[in-house]
Amino acid sequence: MQVVIMGCGRTGLALATRFDAEGDQVTVIELDDEVQARLPSGFRGRFIPGNGITPRVLEQAAIADAEAFVALTPNDSANIVAARTARDRYRVPRVIARLHDPVHGPVYSEFGIATVGSVQTTVNRIVQMLHHLTLEPHQTFGNGETLLVRSRVPDYLAGREIAELYVPGEIGVVEVSTAGHSRIPEPSTQLRQGDVVSFIVAAGSLGRLRSFLDGTWS
Amino acid sequence: MMRIIVVGGAGLAEQVATALELAGHEVSVIDTDPGRESALAKAGLRAVRGDPTVPATLESAGAHRTEVLIAGSRSDETNLVVSLLAKKHFGIPRVISRVNDSANEDLFDDTWGVDALVSPSTAVVSLVSLPA
Repeated sequence: MQVVIMGCGRTGLALATRFDAEGDQVTVIELDDEVQARLPSGFRGRFIPGNGITPRVLEQAAIADAEAFVALTPNDSANIVAARTARDRYRVPRVIARLHDPVHGPVYSEFGIATVGSVQTTVNRIVQMLHHLTLEPHQTFGNGETLLVRSRVPDYLAGREIAELYVPGEIGVVEVSTAGHSRIPEPSTQLRQGDVVSFIVAAGSLGRLRSFLDGTWS
Repeated sequence: MMRIIVVGGAGLAEQVATALELAGHEVSVIDTDPGRESALAKAGLRAVRGDPTVPATLESAGAHRTEVLIAGSRSDETNLVVSLLAKKHFGIPRVISRVNDSANEDLFDDTWGVDALVSPSTAVVSLVSLPA
């Protein structure tokens, strides 16, 4: 894969090193040309000094041939401008931008740019680890705002209908396994003792789901 | 009289805002240089504190009922994001943006919500190349 990485701080450096080690063609764009010295010896990728929002600099990085563009500078506006330029002007199929200040999140999504939010991801993960050790997510979406969680249903819920587990905008049930046999439930499906349920849950509602499963909320 | 928002700090943005205010327009400044509200107030300008790339800041500067926005900060990426928000999010009829690095000039078009651009270096160069 040909990947262009804008911003070579800790994350950019680690990502460039990783892609290079996996045999991908990496081009790094970085304002500070002294950073080039930090790239590992044996790095086969290219280093382009300059501002990644500038078309000439992106073109030096052969942006039009890139399959992926990742904007990782500490400047959210520069990340969104470069990401949108890579996507719309140079038709790069996969574009990801880092989001430092969560306050800029709505702007990124308004402009249709996929983000990795350092702060939001870290906060969601820490809250999850501290409060919800029993609910290990199978899959997380976005920056951890939505999770897929599997859990054995407690005995006290046997005989209740799926519809009773549903909390609009917070908790949904996407799958039920009975004795290893999986199906997509209907609202009227009755839970049986020993069922394993896949919940789709908002990060902020994990506590609610847990107290549900603990029997401390009904 | 027009309602105008000027985004930027000391120098060009402040001078443009002051001149427009004197010309009888209602001007709000979103100051990108912190701590100068009192200086702006002295010049009779309404100053709004905050990050201009956040819609709530533009809204508190009156973006919903503004006829003109001037993105005049010293950062091209800030000016582009502000211009696009002004046009797409608030539907401001006329968006004028400052270009700081002439290498970025061709980004400043309608894909970023920019109706007109001001590029000081390009302006000077074009004057120099005029026939005598």
